[in-house]
Amino acid sequence: MGSAFAFLHEFNLVSILVRLLLAMACGGVIGYGRSRKKQNAGLRTYMLTAIGACMSVLLTLYEYEMMTGQWAPIVAEVGMKFDASRYSAQVISGIGFLAAGTILSSGHQQVTGLTTAAGLFTSVCMGMAAGAGMYDCVIFVLIILFIVLDVMYPMESAFKRKLRNMTIYVEFSSIEYLDEITDTIRAEKATVYDIDVERTKREGSKYPAAVIVLQMGRENASHSGMLSTIAELPYVHTIHELIA
Amino acid sequence: MISAFNGLRDINTATILFRMVLAIICGGLIGIERSIKNRPAGFRTHVLIIIGATTASLIGHYIYLIMNLPTDMSRLPAQVITGLGFIGAGTIIVTGSRTVKGLTTAAGLWATGIVGLAIGSGFYEGAIVSTFMILFAEIVLGKIKIKRVKPFRCIINYQHKETLDHILRYCKDRNIAIKALQIEGETDESGVKVYSAFVTLQPNNEVDHDGFVRKLESFDNVINAVIR
Repeated sequence: MGSAFAFLHEFNLVSILVRLLLAMACGGVIGYGRSRKKQNAGLRTYMLTAIGACMSVLLTLYEYEMMTGQWAPIVAEVGMKFDASRYSAQVISGIGFLAAGTILSSGHQQVTGLTTAAGLFTSVCMGMAAGAGMYDCVIFVLIILFIVLDVMYPMESAFKRKLRNMTIYVEFSSIEYLDEITDTIRAEKATVYDIDVERTKREGSKYPAAVIVLQMGRENASHSGMLSTIAELPYVHTIHELIA
Repeated sequence: MISAFNGLRDINTATILFRMVLAIICGGLIGIERSIKNRPAGFRTHVLIIIGATTASLIGHYIYLIMNLPTDMSRLPAQVITGLGFIGAGTIIVTGSRTVKGLTTAAGLWATGIVGLAIGSGFYEGAIVSTFMILFAEIVLGKIKIKRVKPFRCIINYQHKETLDHILRYCKDRNIAIKALQIEGETDESGVKVYSAFVTLQPNNEVDHDGFVRKLESFDNVINAVIR
């Protein structure tokens, strides 16, 4: 058993296969948890980034192998100029940009894009760890991720719906009516914590809009009841709850 | 490491040709698979990216191995990774919000680029294995649908705000969770406010959509219900 692990820590065809498969599995675990919201696309994305990240580390190992093997005469002549962390460092930058694109293209003030971006970052880091052959670390983190994403996350969203805090997005005819909207909220025994008036026009909406954070008076108060009450006002055009 | 490839790891005209052909094959396979599914980035895009990455990697290695200039031969290829991240971000932003297609396309191009880097440096084993894994991830997993009941969107037009409470209570009794709720209201000519509720519902068990719609429309004050 010990010699099998020693074999896997070297750089050979079998360990390349194992590391890439492990990276794919990491991407799969993260993607599986996310795919509850959007089909298989979530699964594939994280797998692809994990494979790419793993390959970057394998590339580094390969180049080092070559520089101490086949290309050793050239190294003796020119000098050893090799930074083993260069590929991996650029992977982090590159994934950062990809993640920025995800965040920028998600909806107003919703956290979905940010969660996807965090998942990308995690899958890349785990891919790199798999590529470097840190098997115990990767397997350990896989178990933790599985628990957090597949067990704890569904519990969290069920719990959030019962909370007193609520964030709503309202579109209304004119900015003067904002006071009446907040008065209506207070009449329902809720407290307004924050109002964020959107000044830039979103594509498709011609009305002024605001994001209001409020806290309701009682536990288990109905979120949809609050939405209905505000929707009843004559100048409110559309309203929905923003769920993080 | 497969020793058969060792002769191909140096840089000369023959190996450059070999790497380009291998790059076109690997990038082409991935690209054709995407083209068949009518994704935004198809055969051409993937081949262009992989050839660019292979060339960048070749240049980096050439400067050190053949020209014998003191430089880190991984500097040029490593920047390709960052650059593809930029391109990916642009793809995602342009493809629009609330779709995951842009992200999957960008991630696929990114991974293809890294395969190109591997080919350019002579790491054929890694390149071929990861090409197969990318194809596996795209093809096989595209066929497997994760077994779960799909959420569906329902648009309900109704009058009187209490109607919504009635509808939502019915959903709760049938074990259907509400994932998102958006209410729009328009006052029609006779001064009556008609509401449209856009609900995203996640049922726990399979729900017959037609039966559900019929039940909703049977409630008082519900004008109609449509499932998308």
